[in-house]
Amino acid sequence: MASFRSGLTQWARKRSIWVFHVNAASCNGCDIEILAALTPRYDAERLGVELVPSPRHADVLLVTGTLNPLMRDRLKTVYEQMPEPRHVVAIGACALGGGVMKDCYNVGHGIDAAVPVDLYIPGCPPRPEAIIFGILKLVTGTPDPVMAGEAHVG
Amino acid sequence: MRRTSADPLQRLSAKLGGALHPERRTTLLTVDPSKVEEACLGVASLPGLYHLSTITGVDLGDQIGILYHFWEGRRFVTVKTAVPKTAPRIRSVAGALPAATLYEAEIQDLFGVAFDGNPYAGKRLLLPDDYPAEAPPPMRKEADPEKIRRMMKLE
Amino acid sequence: MSDAPAGDRKETGAGLMQYSPEGMMPFGPVHPSLKEPEYFKLILEGEKIVQVVPRIGYVHRGIERAAQERTWVKDIYLFERICGICSFAHSISFTQAVESMSPFEVPDRARYIRVVVAELERIHSHLLWLGLVGHWAGFDTLFMWVWKDREHVLDLEEGITGNRVHKSYSTFGGVRKDLPEGIGAKVTAELGYIEKRVAYYKDLVQSEQTLTVRTRGVGRISQDTARKLSPVGPLLRCTGIGRDVRTEDPYAAYDEVRPEVQTSKDGDIASLLVLRLNEVLDSCRMVKEALEKIPSGPFKVPFPRTVPEGEAAFHVEAPRGELFYFVKSAGGSVPERVKIRTPTMANLLTATEMLKGQTLADVPVVLTGMDPCFGCMDRVSVFDVDKSKEWSLSGEELRDYGIEYYRGRRG
Repeated sequence: MASFRSGLTQWARKRSIWVFHVNAASCNGCDIEILAALTPRYDAERLGVELVPSPRHADVLLVTGTLNPLMRDRLKTVYEQMPEPRHVVAIGACALGGGVMKDCYNVGHGIDAAVPVDLYIPGCPPRPEAIIFGILKLVTGTPDPVMAGEAHVG
Repeated sequence: MRRTSADPLQRLSAKLGGALHPERRTTLLTVDPSKVEEACLGVASLPGLYHLSTITGVDLGDQIGILYHFWEGRRFVTVKTAVPKTAPRIRSVAGALPAATLYEAEIQDLFGVAFDGNPYAGKRLLLPDDYPAEAPPPMRKEADPEKIRRMMKLE
Repeated sequence: MSDAPAGDRKETGAGLMQYSPEGMMPFGPVHPSLKEPEYFKLILEGEKIVQVVPRIGYVHRGIERAAQERTWVKDIYLFERICGICSFAHSISFTQAVESMSPFEVPDRARYIRVVVAELERIHSHLLWLGLVGHWAGFDTLFMWVWKDREHVLDLEEGITGNRVHKSYSTFGGVRKDLPEGIGAKVTAELGYIEKRVAYYKDLVQSEQTLTVRTRGVGRISQDTARKLSPVGPLLRCTGIGRDVRTEDPYAAYDEVRPEVQTSKDGDIASLLVLRLNEVLDSCRMVKEALEKIPSGPFKVPFPRTVPEGEAAFHVEAPRGELFYFVKSAGGSVPERVKIRTPTMANLLTATEMLKGQTLADVPVVLTGMDPCFGCMDRVSVFDVDKSKEWSLSGEELRDYGIEYYRGRRG
């Protein structure tokens, strides 16, 4: 019975991925592409992906931006508010490794300095298709090695 | 247009002991830091020039240049002044021109120029509140972005 | 300045000014949307907002400093990434500022192409904004519709420039590539569709109660306030002052493809809705006109790697208003100083003025109305003296609060 229940939970989770979005000092490019992925042209909601208003309801945290010092602690707070199991997806070159802003005095080199990241989606900004593909990779199994980790911008 | 409003500018410049340099798109009015408020008010009261586009800070070596850009039609009128880096202090124009409030606060943050009378005097606007005290203001030439990043533990 | 001890992480932004503790509300410690995200401290008397103090910097990255260490060409791509919505406005403002300092003339074809892409960007930005206002006012259908239509404009932008968001299209001496063949027919067809939809939305925002009850008379701003605080763009024009950089100080090909400046007298959010939709219609006309008039010839001239010594101030009309660039060159391969003043920075003080006298329920709509793209305000904590308790709201919860509040009032 217990295994059936956990199996059911697993099944349900895979089909209703609730995401929360944090903009950690991003230019807005990635953020509007995330929203575009949820609107009718790409319609991620047909796959059960829904943007929720509170991190306490979310399974997946989408983080964009260069992570400046003011945002660092706030991102950690948001992450800690999420219930287990939780996943973090870094979206866009800035969140991966600083991107084009790498030399600026007020930016970090990637959000993995603050929170553990499960999946990296490169691009400046990534297209909505890439964002949907990435989120689905999270549920369909181990992320592709090309998508994960190695996509750090030098 | 240019003639009618250039003359009051010349009168203003003469009154304040400043220098007027008409350039292609920008008319520069250079004045002493103590005369800035009067100069800005004088420019802003000219017809059409009420719009303060922004205030720019420039590192000139030993001095911090401060430029007040006013816009009208096809030209800018820029009030230019400079304060020494050893005593970076100037009177705020925010009382007379409220639009200047945030622009001055930005220069205060990034260049370390104190604006007396600005509501943000002594407060941070752009930088984190725990910006290292020993680090120079980040837009000054002597500031090294790499060092600031290390001080803020970004690396 | 340095009185905050290192390591002290408490929100001293909240202590920006001293007020008696009668209803103080830190609003969105984190709302990083644009280059200038806002943190507002709202002082309340019951439901009513009496004072607003902004604190920005949550998305401060230090781009102006980094620009001084990169070459001129690299800076174009850096400045584009200041804002993901009006990135083309940033690149044409910077490239034209630099071009104005050098003796090289930009070919006519490039000037026209810049108008085409800049106006397409205005259409997409205004539609994006309309959708967000719909969302924050509790009208999600409008949000979904508008964002679906916006994709048609993005298709055109992608067809011309190769990218949806950061276009990397304008460069010194022109644009990076020519218009694709047969784009004219495609643009006419897609814009015909957009015009039809916008005409419908214009009717909708003036008649649909869901929106009118939340926007009429809300966030009112007078012409005197506007003169005093120097806002820019639609926020200025909705008070009846018809200032537009495109007509007053034409750049690119705006002296040949003239915009019609849209103004309104009411100065509230409802008039902003109509004004921006009128601007979308006007932009559609201008794109088509520019594509008809566009001369043939080269789209780029060779441009040297260094810029002659000098200073230049330049501004363009971005979708949100006057975008100002000040460029100083010492003759080298890197700029001496670049100062950028984005439209939202100029509009911020006006937004605080718009909030005064409004109720807490109006905050999302008023702040979206000024168009800082307030789509992701993260957290709001509320302190109400009457009830002597403190609680926190997320942006979405505040949105629900606003919807409930107005539902109750409508009966």
